Formats: sequence, C-alpha cells, structure tokens
Amino acid sequence: MFTDEDLEPVECLSCWKKERYTDEVGVQTKDLDVEDVGVQSKKYEDEGTQTDNSRDNYFKLAETDEGRLEKFLKKVEPRLSKILEKNMKSVAFDDYVIRSYEDDLAVTCTHTLCHDELKDELQITGVSWNSTGSVLAATYGRFDHEDWCTHKAALCTWSLDRRDINPKKPNVVIDSPSCIMCLEFHPTNPAWVVGGNFSGEVLVWDLNKEDDLLISTSGIGDDAHREPVAKVQWILDPNSKGRSYNIISVGGDGKVLIWTMSKKKPKLKLVEGFVLMTQSLPRNMKVRGVRGDKEIGATCISFNSEDKDTFIVGSESGCIFKCNLHAQGNPAGSHIVSSVPLRSPVTFTFNPHHGPVHSVDYSPFHRNAFLTSGMDQCIRIYNVLQDQPTITVEPGEGYLYSAKWSPVRPTLLAAATEKGNLLLYDLKSDQLVPIHKIEASVDNKPVYTLQFNLTRRNLLATGDGSGYIRVFKLGDDLSSLAPRDVEHLSHVINTTD
Amino acid sequence: MSEVEETLKRIQSHRGVQGTIVVNSEGIPIRTTLDNSTTVQYAGLIHQLAQKARSTVRELDPQNDLTFLRIRSKKNEIMCAPGNEYILLVIQTPDAS
Repeated sequence: MFTDEDLEPVECLSCWKKERYTDEVGVQTKDLDVEDVGVQSKKYEDEGTQTDNSRDNYFKLAETDEGRLEKFLKKVEPRLSKILEKNMKSVAFDDYVIRSYEDDLAVTCTHTLCHDELKDELQITGVSWNSTGSVLAATYGRFDHEDWCTHKAALCTWSLDRRDINPKKPNVVIDSPSCIMCLEFHPTNPAWVVGGNFSGEVLVWDLNKEDDLLISTSGIGDDAHREPVAKVQWILDPNSKGRSYNIISVGGDGKVLIWTMSKKKPKLKLVEGFVLMTQSLPRNMKVRGVRGDKEIGATCISFNSEDKDTFIVGSESGCIFKCNLHAQGNPAGSHIVSSVPLRSPVTFTFNPHHGPVHSVDYSPFHRNAFLTSGMDQCIRIYNVLQDQPTITVEPGEGYLYSAKWSPVRPTLLAAATEKGNLLLYDLKSDQLVPIHKIEASVDNKPVYTLQFNLTRRNLLATGDGSGYIRVFKLGDDLSSLAPRDVEHLSHVINTTD
Repeated sequence: MSEVEETLKRIQSHRGVQGTIVVNSEGIPIRTTLDNSTTVQYAGLIHQLAQKARSTVRELDPQNDLTFLRIRSKKNEIMCAPGNEYILLVIQTPDAS
C-alpha cells in the first residue's frame, strides 16, 4: 500500500526580495581653505563729571527802601492788630460745620471675618477691641443651650493692621471646652483679655504668651458663678491709685462679683460680691409667697463715666437696677454659700422692660443718661433721676440684642437687631427713625453683639448668629464731635414730655 | 533792631499767627517769617488775588479802593492789608489756642 517515491523539488521564488548589487565609486571634496585673522577691540576710558552744588539762590528777598516800608507798616499795623485780636474771640464761625463730602455720612463694611471651623455651628457671643484699637477679639459660643454645654468653643483674634490678614483664619485661636459667653480686653494692656464661660468661670488670657495663654482663672466652685457668666468688665482698683484693674463679672445666678488678679498664683481672688434679689423688684412684679431673698439673673452691666462707684445692671426679669459698690443692702439669703459676704447693691429700680434686658450702657458724655435694649424690641433712654424712660424707640426689628452709645458723638447710638441689621440713631435729628440701617449679618441671622472702637473712633464691629464678625467704618460725620452735641444730649435727657 | 523788624515781630506775636509776609508791587517777597517755598507760593498767589480784588473794586466805582482782604478757609484765615507799594500778608489759625 505504501511505496517509496521521489518527487521533483519545487522552487518558489520571492516576489518582493531582490538581489543586491554592489558597486565601487570614488568621491573627493575640495581642499579646505583655512586662514587666521586677529581682531582687537578699542580701548575705553572712564571720566567723571560733576555739576556745581546749586545753592538756594533762586529765592531772594527783594530789596526795598526801608523808610517807605516802615511808613506802610505803621499805617496798617493798628488795624491788622485789631482784626487779629478780634479774630481769636470771634464766634462767627462756631456753628459753621464744613460738610465737605457726601460720603462723610456713609458707613462701609471693611472686613467680614470668621473662624472657618466654627462658623455656622456657633454664634458670636461677644466682640472686643484691644487698647491700641488694632486687634479685634471675638468669642464663639451659643446662647440657646438646652442642657449641658458640650460645644468646642473658642476665642479668636484678628490683627486688622497685618497685611496678611486672612478673613477666614484668626491670628490667634484659644480653644475652650465650653462656650465662652463674653469677653473684654484690658483697658491699657493690649494683650490681656478677660472672658466668662458657660460654666460660670472667669478666665484671663495673655495673648503674648507662648504656649499656655491662660494666666488666671476663678475656677468653678462656691465663689464662682453657678450659672453662665453674662458679662465681664475691667474696673479700676480703688486701692491702686488708678494703676491696676480688677474684674467685675455678672451672671445668670444674680451675682455681681469683683475679682483681683494675684501676681503669684494663677487664681483670681474674690474681693467683693453682690447679689440681686427679688426684694428689689418693683411692687407690681413681686410674686406673692416667694421669699424676698431669691436671686434675679443678671444679663448686663455698665459703669457711670464720672462716678466710678455707680453702675446699672439689667436683669432677666426685665428690671433695671441702679447699683452702687458701697451700697449697704440686705445680706444674701443663707442658701447662698460664698467666702465673702454678699449683699444687695441695689439703690434704685427703674421702670422695667417687658422681657429680659439684653444690654445697658451709660452715656460717656452725660452722667445721668443711660440706654437699655431688650427682648421687648425697644430701646429706652433713661435719665437716672427718673424711673420712667425719657425716650422709647421701637425699631420693629425683633429682639434688640445690643445697644451702645457712640464714644465720639454724644447723640449717636447704635443697636443690633434680631433681623440682622445694625441701626444708627441720632437723637439730634429724628429720634424715631434710624439715620442708617445696615445689613450686618451674613444671611439675616440675628446680630448678637456690637462694639465701638475706643481708640480708632471710626470703627465698629458686630458679631452675628452664624459666626461672622463684621467691621464697619463710619464716615467723618459719624465719628467726629460736632459743636454743642453735649448740650443737645442734656436737653433731650432733661425733657420729660 | 530796626523799626520794621520790630513791627513785624509785634504782628507775629499775636495769638494764632502762623506767618507774616511783606510783598512788593511786583509780587516779590521783601520780608517773611515763613520758609522759602511757602513764602514764594503765598506771595505770588495772594498778590495776584489782591490785584484782582483791587481792580474789581475800582472798576465798580473809580472813586473807591480796596482797603482790606480777608480769606477764611477750613484751616486758617489769610489777611492782606494792601498799600500803594506793598501788601502785608498775615496767616492766622483761629482755633489754635
């Protein structure tokens, strides 16, 4: 079946490969020409020239005949002297105020600041300018606690003069385990700031220190507040001849406490204490069957500009009390434990607000005038000598969280409203209509606090409910003293119709 | 001290006076208590203004003549007493007490 067979070989020629041929060819380039040439740059020389120093000879007093000049001066001198003397006594221009520019009246927002990590979550509870007027501090916290405070709050500062100011990042952040409710910079030391927190502790920080900025604290205990601290302020220590300051704090527990800083220990020492009690309420607000020594929560405090012992305290009940550091009121009830004896500071009670008082402020220009604002949506201006308010303004902007007198213009006052506006009133023009209404919060959140800058008198800061701080610049007209403003204020205060 | 210097010193010693300049009829300062550049400026400008004021008064009534020129500004008051040959300028700041 299988047999051997030889088949012819088959050859397949490539259809694309071609056989290479080589060939030898000779080429020759031309001879290269090479030549050497030398070059040499020119020689240079330095030469100086100098102009002559020009003397001040372009100005030359003209020569004149001494005799004729004398005659002329003799003739005009008596008349001129008379005018010069009269000029100094003249009152012709006294009331003449130069209103040069339209924007003198304007209010402009220069900064909008916030701490990026805490905004939205926390509110601005207080703002304060330091003594040089260049640093703004704000405290983050909340006013609406339902139970324990578990917020991670902070105190933040911004230096407005620094060129690298970041509106979303403060220069200094001091963290706090509970809400800080208020703060105030030291009146002379630009680095010291006092604050009060939700647990009733009063704390002092030194912003210049490196690591632990806290230099003094009241601690928590019988001596400290048992409720959130509402306001803290520095007051002159009467024993130091005007050199050192004490701290006064008021709280929701009705206590008004005076603390002193000791050099050795990082602990504030309680020097004096007062307590607001229900016996000071006006008769129509007293509740039958309640003992007279129950406390009334304090919300705000303001000292008189002339008499350093007199102060006004606003309360949660709506009452406004005139108090004195030397008042010998009734002692506190036995249920209050304290290392210093507490007594009532109240000397007089004014006609109350219909709801908690949010701020009181003594006029820096008139010893008898103070203003209050509160939850009943009105600003009241009182004369200390009368229990009824002299002026009541109702802006219709919701709760008024803060109201302050301008430190420059005696008749100017500012108020922060629940609807997020900053209102400026001038008692000299129309008392019932604000001269300015400026949006001061980011998204119509309530504005909780406002503070004039006492050093740079054209600045004002506000803090709102979503954690933003705004700095406003007031026009020249709003930040300079106009003639006869003080007289006008006393006129307004003393009218009782 | 000559009589001229004494008179100028008396004027200069009045309250609020910032400077005194005497200018000749060409507007060139003759005596001054101010620095050079300020003097030149005041002398030139006020001289022109005084001449204009004088010619205005004279044109309104040829028998009339300018006797005194006062300029009240935000910062100070400039007083010029014109004579036939000279003008005396005094700059006074009224509220400097």
